[in-house]
Amino acid sequence: MLQDLIGSKRALFADNVQTVLRGHENRVRRVVLLKGNLVQNQRSGGRGVSARVNNQGVYGFASEAEYSPEAAEKVIRAATENALALGKHTTKRIALPPSAGTGTVELNRGIEDVEQKEIIGLCREIDGYIEKKYPDLTSRTVVYYEDSQDRIVYSSDACCGHLVTPRCYVYVMMSAETKDGTPVELFKAFGGFGCFRDNFTDPAKLYPGIDGLYQRLMDKKEGIYAEAGYKTVVLGGLMGGMLAHEAVGHTVEADLVRGGSVAGPSLNKQVASELVTMVDFAHTVNGETAPLPVYLDDEGTRAEDAVLIQNGILTGYMNDRESAAEYGMRPAGNARGWTFADEPLIRMRNTCILPGKSTVEEMISSVEDGYYLIDSGNGQADLTGEFMFGVTCGYEIKNGKLGKALLDTTVTGIAFDMLKTVDMVSDTVMWSSSGFCGKKQPMAVGMGGPHMRCKIMIGGR
Amino acid sequence: MEIRKNADLLDRILQERQISKYNYTLSRSEKQELNLENGGFKLLRTVFSQSAQIRVFLGEKTGSASGNDVSEEGLNLLADEAKAAAESAAEDPAHDIAPDQGHDVFRQGTQEPDMDKFISRIQEFLDTVKSEYPKVRIMAAMGSYDRWNWLSRNTNGTEFEGFGGQYHFSVEMCASEGEKTTGLDYTGFSTVTLDRPFIEEGDLRRHLENIQGSIYPETLQGKFEGTMVLTPDSAAQFIYMLVSNYMTDGVVIDGTSLWLDKVGQQVADEKLTVSLKPYDKRIVMGQRATGNGFRAEDVTLIEKGVLKTHWLSLYGANKTGRPVVKNTGSDLVVEPGTQSLEELIASIDKGLILGGFSGGNPGTNGEFSGVAKNSFLIENGKIKGAVTETMVNGNLGEAFRRIRGISRELLCDGGSVMPYIAVDGIVISGK
Repeated sequence: MLQDLIGSKRALFADNVQTVLRGHENRVRRVVLLKGNLVQNQRSGGRGVSARVNNQGVYGFASEAEYSPEAAEKVIRAATENALALGKHTTKRIALPPSAGTGTVELNRGIEDVEQKEIIGLCREIDGYIEKKYPDLTSRTVVYYEDSQDRIVYSSDACCGHLVTPRCYVYVMMSAETKDGTPVELFKAFGGFGCFRDNFTDPAKLYPGIDGLYQRLMDKKEGIYAEAGYKTVVLGGLMGGMLAHEAVGHTVEADLVRGGSVAGPSLNKQVASELVTMVDFAHTVNGETAPLPVYLDDEGTRAEDAVLIQNGILTGYMNDRESAAEYGMRPAGNARGWTFADEPLIRMRNTCILPGKSTVEEMISSVEDGYYLIDSGNGQADLTGEFMFGVTCGYEIKNGKLGKALLDTTVTGIAFDMLKTVDMVSDTVMWSSSGFCGKKQPMAVGMGGPHMRCKIMIGGR
Repeated sequence: MEIRKNADLLDRILQERQISKYNYTLSRSEKQELNLENGGFKLLRTVFSQSAQIRVFLGEKTGSASGNDVSEEGLNLLADEAKAAAESAAEDPAHDIAPDQGHDVFRQGTQEPDMDKFISRIQEFLDTVKSEYPKVRIMAAMGSYDRWNWLSRNTNGTEFEGFGGQYHFSVEMCASEGEKTTGLDYTGFSTVTLDRPFIEEGDLRRHLENIQGSIYPETLQGKFEGTMVLTPDSAAQFIYMLVSNYMTDGVVIDGTSLWLDKVGQQVADEKLTVSLKPYDKRIVMGQRATGNGFRAEDVTLIEKGVLKTHWLSLYGANKTGRPVVKNTGSDLVVEPGTQSLEELIASIDKGLILGGFSGGNPGTNGEFSGVAKNSFLIENGKIKGAVTETMVNGNLGEAFRRIRGISRELLCDGGSVMPYIAVDGIVISGK
């Protein structure tokens, strides 16, 4: 855990600019067992200090791969010089954004490390279970991945504080062969916020999930290609979360709005069915800790929820301090950097479409001819809201019943068109937090969603 | 950080722990990065970095640790972490380090940047876009100069040291008219000289022209089987997918590669030759030493459609009894074809020029399915308009066995050398 070695350097903050000083440590633990072979066995980390200075809308940033008072002094001076130097190349000036509050955000929790042998032991136990119980698999991979962030933030005119965000996962990947020898795969992530002992006290707790994964892989062995076209589908909760993040979330990040995203002219307009409400939660959801809680961002803004879509109406964006002032909104703590060397960018936290009233069973039984899309491998979207999700697990629906499993496919659509076709929303939400969002820098994000019945373009033969 | 002094210190620290087999890389770097937003300068970023990566062996057990605290205390901690990781591992004789490669010093690129000229070139690019492509908006751009020094040693006697420096420029753009906006398009290049205007580097002009021509895309109706012309950007994407799906450690070690026993056999159309060429002059900063500790070499992966080798690390090679590839970089070069791009397009009845592919990662069976980004319809040998909500579906292996043609034109963006590649038998679908 970082100790406060940099706070005294606030005295070096220059006048008439906004300065944020950040000490930041990232830690990674990684073990990979491929068919029982230990192919990766790594412990890594990095710590350092950075400063960002806002000089009327142009910014200077500097970082040093050393966490010390001397390094803090160096980066404050360098960032200030950079901001002043860049100011000479631009005539555009923006008033410094107002403070959204001052004070101190207290440390939210600790980070506990474990020895590598414990991690390898866990992976071996899980791998042994799979090898023994499912010898017919052509391949299996067990990955342990843990990353944690520990940051201390000092701001010239906003909040200061100390925040840690540890998360750890076990990823299980299985491969099998179809009758004609074609490989098919599935994977599943277990774990979440917290450290090793928060999530993995007993490997047996993972076994029901592993058994379910195997069953779905056996279904996929007999799978069929989806029929390409515009189809009625039930998107599973994990797909709903991907939709919230990729298709909608990115278009309502204010830096992309400024760049011309479809959300710019859509503010306060109907962009989705009335059944759709979407929130970027900061740290608490329904009284419980959010999947990846954020209490303070890297501009020193105390984190709050950002309501993005309310009953189908686009009501807000995710902002940093500057964009919030530009759009007349309140900053909610979305400006974050991944390592000490990264400047804060507008990022999502725990983006979720809220639940509705239907049951999953009702939704599936209501579809005469379509697909049930359960899980996704990856996703992307762009300014127009055109999105893509890779679908790794799904089933056809025929006359309200689940049919054959699907081989890998992809779905696409224009988010604000597609969301208007949502006519059923399930009463439960599924969350995932094991992935990374990429936007110049990686970022750990949570995403959640209910099941949704809608129309979507699906790829296939 | 005095890198050589630190290397000597690290040798002593590891030897004090009775570790007789190891390799490590120490590095330090400095980045000056200029960020632009909506056509204006926004942020100037300076990053000072350093790191140490250690891999130690205890008999046939191995463990790795890396970090950026290269003080004596930090290196001691790192050595302890790596040793503890190795102690926890199972024995596996396939883990190893490269044999003695001797000593060498590699100097690449420019160590003395001309930042004033670099900024002038960026401003010149912005001015050119404004006057020649008025509908294009440069949403974000990033110009960086990176300088680095690294040193790696292993206990078989190898010592390599590298000094490098390069400029990189990338842009994120869209085009708009009224409230109508295109999707995003990205491109960039790396260079060690500032001799040419940036708009003439890499594939910038084609991207600008295409995005300006994409403001009013058509939605494709129905589906058809046709030809997909991979632009150099999407060709690089597909070649990487092909290589990682059929040729790399994971799929060869676990035996799921569909090309497992295909070395020496025809796996693609004879027009396709794919190599790694770190010493090619068109590659700005080719790899000089691999992570395994080998001196990097030029390697042909596929020659006239014949698989010459899998792309295996030392571990993968030892594990499977196959040859190691002494290149772990990304210096891909695809040889040009005999037709011009114009001739290629003229030969196509119905198809798509694929500007970018946004799709799920193909499984080991090679099936791909994704959205065609920044793409244009081809009908009767002519380029029609831009398309939206259009998907392409096919199989990687099959696609590269059905190469209609490869262009004479090549894109050299400093990182790879790629032609246009036209492949038949792709299912192209719309609403």
